[in-house]
Amino acid sequence: MFRFIVKRLFGIIPTLLIVSILVFLFVHMIPGDPARLVAGPDASYEDVELVRQDLGLDKPLVTQYFTYMSGLFQGDLGTSMKTKRPVFDEIADRFMPTFWLTIWSMVWAIIFGLLIGVISATKRNKWQDYTGMFTAVSGISLPSFWLGLMLIQLFSVQLGWFPTGGNDSWTSYILPSITLGAGVAAVIARFTRSSLMDILREDYIRTGRAKGLKENIVVWKHALKNAMIPVVTMTGLQFGFLLGGSIVVETVFSWPGLGRLLIDSVSYRDYPVIQAELLLFAFEFILINLIVDVLYGIMNPQIRY
Amino acid sequence: MKEKLLEITNLKTYFFTDTGQVPAVNGVDFYIHEGETLGVVGESGCGKSVTSLSVMRLLTDTPGKVVDGSIRFKGKDLLSLSEKEMRKIRGNEIAMIFQEPMTSLNPVYTIGEQIGEAVKLHLKYNKKEAKNHVINMLKLVGIPRAEEIINEYPHQLSGGMRQRIMIAMAMACNPTLLIADEPTTALDVTIQAQILELMKKLKKEKATSIMLITHDLGVVAEMCDRVIVMYAGKVVEEAEVTEIFDNPKHPYTKGLLNSIPKLGQKMDRLDSIPGNVPTPANMPKGCKFAPRCSQVMDICKENEPDLIQVEDGHKCRCFLYQNEMARVVN
Ligand SMILES: Nc1ncnc2c1ncn2[C@@H]1O[C@H](COP(=O)(O)OP(=O)(O)OP(=O)(O)O)[C@@H](O)[C@H]1O
Ligand SMILES: [Mg+2]
Repeated sequence: MFRFIVKRLFGIIPTLLIVSILVFLFVHMIPGDPARLVAGPDASYEDVELVRQDLGLDKPLVTQYFTYMSGLFQGDLGTSMKTKRPVFDEIADRFMPTFWLTIWSMVWAIIFGLLIGVISATKRNKWQDYTGMFTAVSGISLPSFWLGLMLIQLFSVQLGWFPTGGNDSWTSYILPSITLGAGVAAVIARFTRSSLMDILREDYIRTGRAKGLKENIVVWKHALKNAMIPVVTMTGLQFGFLLGGSIVVETVFSWPGLGRLLIDSVSYRDYPVIQAELLLFAFEFILINLIVDVLYGIMNPQIRY
Repeated sequence: MKEKLLEITNLKTYFFTDTGQVPAVNGVDFYIHEGETLGVVGESGCGKSVTSLSVMRLLTDTPGKVVDGSIRFKGKDLLSLSEKEMRKIRGNEIAMIFQEPMTSLNPVYTIGEQIGEAVKLHLKYNKKEAKNHVINMLKLVGIPRAEEIINEYPHQLSGGMRQRIMIAMAMACNPTLLIADEPTTALDVTIQAQILELMKKLKKEKATSIMLITHDLGVVAEMCDRVIVMYAGKVVEEAEVTEIFDNPKHPYTKGLLNSIPKLGQKMDRLDSIPGNVPTPANMPKGCKFAPRCSQVMDICKENEPDLIQVEDGHKCRCFLYQNEMARVVN
């Protein structure tokens, strides 16, 4: 297991190199001229060219890439064109709010998703199942901007329980994390339900009952551990998506996170920030995949690394 | 006089499916004495497994339901027990071994955990006592390296080993009745013989009553004291094991015996009886076996015979003998 993890960690490096090339190409293909944006709309042609030289954007793409990568290996992500601050600081400021929002959303999503999924599977075709699946379908199909605005309207504007935006206290986490978690909870619920229903038909479930075990133990111990194996993979993916920061939810709740940073830097053609963010997302995804694989091995004894 | 441990009367278990009602077990009567091994034979689909699942009340998660009859075990009516009372019987007083050893163990828990669980539940052993007991049970069923096997997972073991594990699990709480549903069908011939030997040995040591379900009349001859023959959800013949082999009455039993292969050989198809088991959709009106019967009479197509005593301890469901009896009475 330890050797597997070390091997996989080393495997991350080539993957990230390839990703970095793709990201670099992709970012420079975004239409629009950052030099023009930095210099301002009234700047003369000469001024714009000066800015371009200043930013190093006049050099061939390959040279730019190597300059960027050599900086990266020294831990230098460059400077934001917009704020002139180090990109590292820009991202560090925004990472934590998104990270904690993700954690809270996942906590809700896992608790409610699992509960709804298990109840629906064990009470299938009864009212509990129909209610659970109706909730889940709503969770998937409600647009999150709408859900967010409704929650703000009800709990912030009318009842005044929570702030309408920002992340100044723990209460400001509640509404955005519910908004963000709803969709994930719905996906987890549906996945858990179908996976658990399949497992409950297995012969070893009947063996468990034949031993005289309580139905709760049969479901929560014997069935759920098997049913969770596919659910864990899916939950990991969702976690990865949320870590990237949700543009919609962060905008609705004026959340100072990575999602809004991304949209701002794209509209400003702030190449270094966009690149750094995309590389970070790729790294997070690869890391989460590794964690999921390790968990998978822990849960499923038939897999040996 | 021997005591009846299990007595089933007029048991009816139906499945309520989208395509209609399936009378899988349709009025089954039989009993098992203390310490006795009862063989239950019949072709695939005649309701053997459903009968045993009805006794265990394990039809949860299927569309099946016991609709009529009674199941008395040690004088208690199992059908009227609460789920909680029933749980104290399952795995404790009545244990079951299933047809499918490869899939009947949970892949994500160790062998020790899976057997120990029942032991802790019913015998109230603590962790250490349970562990020792499990190791002893594994040794009893002939598992080598028992101390190591308890930490292994099912996929690390062969089919024969898994069936031994299932037997160890079933016997762990010293049940009075063991229901073995084709315990050897999925195994190859040499392993089959070993498993049967093992069950015989356990029966001798523990005086357990066994309900042994099988396709295989060879296994019956080897293991059983008494036999019931089932056809289309009903018992068609019941007799001592020697009587069944020497003096079979029902044409279906005779057909089965004619198709008997050598002992230990697998028997999945019974080629010597022409035709097929009737499906619920085209269930014959009279005797369910009539369409395949070589001695069929007019009455068989109209009416269904009762299971009646034809000789001492020998019952048969066939008009051939009922007329004979009727003649004697007249
Ligand atoms: N879950 C189920 N849903 C619907 N019908 C079922 C179900 N289980 C069993 N049946 C019906 O009950 C009938 C009897 O099945 P059962 O499993 O008792 O046969 P069996 O005698 O054990 O056969 P085999 O020798 O193949 O194990 C089958 O013909 C089938 O139609
Ligand atoms: Mg069966």
